[in-house]
Amino acid sequence: MNQHQPTIIRDRTPVSDAVLTLHDVKVHYPVKEGLLQSVTGHVRAVDGVDLTIGRGQTLGLVGESGCGKTTLGRVIAGLVEPTGGDLWVNLTAEQQRDVDRLRAVEPASMTAADRAAWQSLQTGHRLGSMSRENQRAYRRNCQVVFQDSFASLNPRQLVRDIVGRPLRVHQGLSGDRLNAKVGELLDMVGLGSQHMYRYPHQFSGGQRQRISIARALALNPEFVVLDEPTSALDVSVQAQILNLLVDLQGELGLTYLFITHDLGVVQHLSTTIAVMYLGQIAEYGPTDLVFNDPLHPYTRILRDSNPSLDGENDATEWELTGSVPNPISPPHGCRLHPRCPVARAECGWSVDDVLTDIEDRAPLLFETISRVERQDDFTADVTFDTEVSARAFADRLQASRAHDAVDRPLEIADATVSVSFREVPDATLQQLREGRLTSCTRTQNLGALPPIHETRR
Amino acid sequence: MTALASPRISLPTDPNHRTAAGVRWERRLQLAREVLRNPLTVFGLVIIGFFLLMAAAAPLLTEQNQPDAYQAPRDWSNIDVPPGTDGHVLGTDSTGGDVLYGIIWGSRLSLQLSFTVVFTTLVIGTIVGSIAAMRGGRVDNVLMRIVDIFLAIPELIFALAIAAVLGPSFENIILALASVFWVKYARIVRGEIIRVKQSEYVAAARVVGDSTWNIYRKDVLPNSLTPLMVQATLDMGNVVLIGATLSYLGLAQAGLTEWGAMVSAGQSGLLAGEWWVSTFAGLAIVLWALAFNLVGDGLRDVLDPKMEGR
Repeated sequence: MNQHQPTIIRDRTPVSDAVLTLHDVKVHYPVKEGLLQSVTGHVRAVDGVDLTIGRGQTLGLVGESGCGKTTLGRVIAGLVEPTGGDLWVNLTAEQQRDVDRLRAVEPASMTAADRAAWQSLQTGHRLGSMSRENQRAYRRNCQVVFQDSFASLNPRQLVRDIVGRPLRVHQGLSGDRLNAKVGELLDMVGLGSQHMYRYPHQFSGGQRQRISIARALALNPEFVVLDEPTSALDVSVQAQILNLLVDLQGELGLTYLFITHDLGVVQHLSTTIAVMYLGQIAEYGPTDLVFNDPLHPYTRILRDSNPSLDGENDATEWELTGSVPNPISPPHGCRLHPRCPVARAECGWSVDDVLTDIEDRAPLLFETISRVERQDDFTADVTFDTEVSARAFADRLQASRAHDAVDRPLEIADATVSVSFREVPDATLQQLREGRLTSCTRTQNLGALPPIHETRR
Repeated sequence: MTALASPRISLPTDPNHRTAAGVRWERRLQLAREVLRNPLTVFGLVIIGFFLLMAAAAPLLTEQNQPDAYQAPRDWSNIDVPPGTDGHVLGTDSTGGDVLYGIIWGSRLSLQLSFTVVFTTLVIGTIVGSIAAMRGGRVDNVLMRIVDIFLAIPELIFALAIAAVLGPSFENIILALASVFWVKYARIVRGEIIRVKQSEYVAAARVVGDSTWNIYRKDVLPNSLTPLMVQATLDMGNVVLIGATLSYLGLAQAGLTEWGAMVSAGQSGLLAGEWWVSTFAGLAIVLWALAFNLVGDGLRDVLDPKMEGR
């Protein structure tokens, strides 16, 4: 139960023509300690992501900083090697269904036809087992616009060499032909070819981002990863760049993966939204529906956290409590539950949640813990310095939401409190309605989020 | 149509008439102008220029000694004469060697020492540092531990040991200094490359699909060289300082017109009031080291990464 189950989403609605499909993609960075650099754990930057990006769509990938969205973007761009999972290129709806079905089948129990189909899908569409040419074609076809336009342009190269670089590398252009093509690209992003012989530092932030966009579009890619392309810009310039991106998408039929922490930006731009929390997708679906009827409390909180001038909804807003958990040992069950305003017993409480809670909110009590003896993540004996502390701890626990999840009453003997929670499997992304996925266990059971007045006690 | 009637005059600064090479030169000129704004840097450059001229014009300024120009001509009738004596503007030493001749021809040796040592160590250090940083892992570990061994011993002592083993000669001093100085550059280059490798423009170049060699050549190396250039300029002075120390300690040929050797030769006369040999040679060393330090500092101020791009 402690181990992460591969996420298999049953009977999900496929996208008509997917540029990229991610299955259970993981990026775990080893944490090394001591003189011998032994691995003591893993930072789960991306921890089992399922995502489909349809051709011509804009998929908005939203989340707080540190949730793994930039790392995921880098995996898609080929800059970071995933430590697990599959990336599939150009799958039709039928093929997506096949992949979803065949992933759930044990290789040993596959029929001959299944095995042949699986084989041809792998060699034709899976990054890592595709032919080298196809893989290179995908890399050419997927370009990136980075967040910091100052850091992403070599300060010692002329704009001509920056924008012309992909053309030199892949098309062998040089001299006048290169200049002509670079001029075209600069015109296309609204900069004008007269800027060819200038250095990046001679431009404003917005202009530099236009240069980045020109470089990304030099090879006529179909798919562009936009990694917070406007978050370093002034608000007025942001709008210009966003409009440029929309115009270019219309002209060139581009597919965007738009990574941002700003739901407001994504609302206007994207056709589909994926909300990410602590290395996993919390919710996925069409923009309008995700906005108007979120299926995950985190989405609703992100939406409502945008400050509004009229002060609407202020009284009924949900809020996150506590801080982002440590990605080395993420919470069991639903990853949001320790911070979630509507978490209940079934959301996956464990010993760590209780300890983190008192560390955050009763640090003096936390100081008096002398020993924690765990049987597993859900059962432990917590020993305090004094019996008084132990009773205080038990009282706190009994008054908290976590207490709903204990599977037998707390036992207090001397200064030791024995706690045992019900074991709950890790929450997985499930299709709740057509094309809409959520990892919230409560909505999966209830079909919708609880009403907004219901908050923590 | 008169020239006045036409509003469309194409100026040389018209962006459409620019070329990549022209723009790059413009940038270098601008950098040079910034460097020259600091009077101390200009002072240093003047001294360096003065020494360069002196080295170039040595055969014109003095009559070249035969057969070895780097031994001062002996005037046995004028031993230990003070400055101002007829024919010996800066006096002579205890073997009748002319001090002015020694300083003029010594500038050639100092120049040779500085450029040879700094150039070779720069090349070796850049290669070693680049391999360590680009390869990483075990290669990096091994190379950097070797560098650590070198850095653990003070450079003067190390150079002294090597020169002593190789035997006393000016060439061996160059060799000794070169084998000591490269480690510093290897270390600087490695650190810089590791920093630049993590930058987003390197990530962008990888997304574009350029080769590792091209990324190294176009992105990594040009952006790692600034602190190296500053260090190299400073070392042009330091090398002569340490080289002079070695020849002062007797590791150059006897009677060589090397400034350090001259300070050493004049030392025995100091108590007898014959100050001129050691003083003028010492002054030359100080001026040389000072000049390159001033220019190095000036370069650092202009090339400071925090000021970059402004």
